[in-house]
Amino acid sequence: MSGPLLQAQALSRTFGAFTAVDQVTFDVAPGEVVGLLGANGAGKTTVIRMLLGLLRPTAGHALLNGNPPSRAGRERLGYVPQGLGLYAELTVRENLEFAAQAFGCPPARPEGPMRETRDRLVSDLPLGIRRQVAFLCALQHRPDVLVLDEPSSGVEPLGRARLWDQIREQSQRGVGVLVTTHYMQEAQQCDRLLLMSQGRLVAQGTEADIVDGTTAVAVASDDWARVFAVLSAAGLAVNLAGRDVRVIDPDLPVVRELLAGQGIEAACHEVPATIEERMTMLART
Amino acid sequence: MRSNLKSMRAMILKEFRELRRDHRTMGMLIGMPVLLLVVFGYAANFTVDNVPTATVGPQAEQVAQQVEVIAQAPFDVVEVDPGGNAATAEDLLQRDSVDVAIDTGQQPPVAYIDGSSLFTAQTSIAAFNRLGDQVTVEILFNPELKTSWVMVPAIIGLILTFIGTIITSIGMVKEKQTGTIEQLAVMPIKPSTVILGKILPYFLLATLDMVLVTVLGMVLFDVPFNGSVGVFAIGAGLFLFVVLGLGVFVSTISQNVGQAIQTAFFFLLPQILLSGFIFPLEAIPWGVRWISYFLPLTYFTMVSQGVMLRGAPLDALWFPLIMLAIMAVVIFTGAVLRFRRNLAPGDGRRSKPKVSA
Repeated sequence: MSGPLLQAQALSRTFGAFTAVDQVTFDVAPGEVVGLLGANGAGKTTVIRMLLGLLRPTAGHALLNGNPPSRAGRERLGYVPQGLGLYAELTVRENLEFAAQAFGCPPARPEGPMRETRDRLVSDLPLGIRRQVAFLCALQHRPDVLVLDEPSSGVEPLGRARLWDQIREQSQRGVGVLVTTHYMQEAQQCDRLLLMSQGRLVAQGTEADIVDGTTAVAVASDDWARVFAVLSAAGLAVNLAGRDVRVIDPDLPVVRELLAGQGIEAACHEVPATIEERMTMLART
Repeated sequence: MRSNLKSMRAMILKEFRELRRDHRTMGMLIGMPVLLLVVFGYAANFTVDNVPTATVGPQAEQVAQQVEVIAQAPFDVVEVDPGGNAATAEDLLQRDSVDVAIDTGQQPPVAYIDGSSLFTAQTSIAAFNRLGDQVTVEILFNPELKTSWVMVPAIIGLILTFIGTIITSIGMVKEKQTGTIEQLAVMPIKPSTVILGKILPYFLLATLDMVLVTVLGMVLFDVPFNGSVGVFAIGAGLFLFVVLGLGVFVSTISQNVGQAIQTAFFFLLPQILLSGFIFPLEAIPWGVRWISYFLPLTYFTMVSQGVMLRGAPLDALWFPLIMLAIMAVVIFTGAVLRFRRNLAPGDGRRSKPKVSA
């Protein structure tokens, strides 16, 4: 299979008068890890549900392996939903066996920390292990496409790193991966990012493409709390990075003027924006 | 103290706000009591004032006229068969064509009474007792008028309703509540296989329960099983499809286990009150009785009491069996199709789009 594994063609979905997804177009190629980013309610999960055939698009087309999503098409798909989709009253082994039987493949053998827990009920396991079990359930039939909705949410950093190692392993095997995440560090591990805001795809490309030379203003001051308060009150988008206040609107003279007007001594300078800051900028436009 | 009162007020206000928006609970709090009062008020009647009666034998026509004019007698003669005899009378009762059949070929005439219709039998006995020696009374199918004999066959249906509707709806809605239904929807399993795989265990468990309860009822309460096991099995199988269908339907209109139990309760209560096993159908006024004829338990009770107590054959039970079959097809199919929508919202049914390479 050389063409795209997943395709969204002008995909739209409305719920009554509310437009959840608006004209979203992108694709995922074999071996590519594509990150779908956006705040809660941006429309990421709705896009995924349409690509999997769980939700009908109001307009546009969702394609899985070049065809509208169907039962046959989903045989080569691995999916880890946000809620994990595991049976809490079954053991790890029983969950793996059920998924394997559904896909007609032999059950995978749990490894690492999962090995000790294979006969324990999923409901008794910590979230990190549960996520690994869900991931293994989605992988055991060796899918061509992996769709992961917030796969590392609530997982401790080591577990998250292990999960990303596995995602990379899969992409090297030629699997196309679509992954939604809130963690910007994880976004940096993706080959390509799709940025969604209010149902629209507002940017896509590599991290550098998306940041695209945009800058933020970093403000260093002993009186950082007052700096934060003054700039917030002026309607600027600000956040804290340690004791530095970062202003997302990259208008250095305005920032200097506002602080000088309040008699606050501060060192202000332009810095390259982070991807998170770029997301906020795009969401505000 | 003051802050305790404030907190309490906040708690009460919050509770009322939640309740106001919880339509199902509000339904149980307000709609259900009103409905129960009205329905119960009209339906709660143990007094039967209309007993379908047959007269058979050479004096059938004369006795029919006499019976209808007996003061305060509830008899409504619906069949007169001058050529009939005691066997004809028994057959009419076994088929539930009438509740009382008077054989005028004997001296004095013998009034055969269907003991499986408890309250009707009691009313009829009281009326015949007022006639003294003019009529001999013989109670068939439940000679000692044991309440348990009448209740156990109906309770079998009630237990099946409970398992079929509540337990099944819980099992189905849990898939939705935990999100595993989404995982099932993306697995390469046919929706029909998923649905059958979900329902069959409940069907088997309910069948086991049915056998257990029937045998226990027979052992503990000496309830007879006079009819055919096959006819009983047909009725029970059809009834199970209906109640399992109700359970599946409840799961499709509920988001979580709590809602499913609440909703199943709405389907359960009318069946307990109006299916004829507490209050005789004949005693419920038509203004409410029509509801009874939409309830599957009404028909299962007809079958279970008919088979177990009266030994009614298949052709005597065609009406309840046909009604159960219609309900099974309509409810089960409708519910399964609704559930299927959760599993296959748009499975490959869109027009083929332009595929870019």
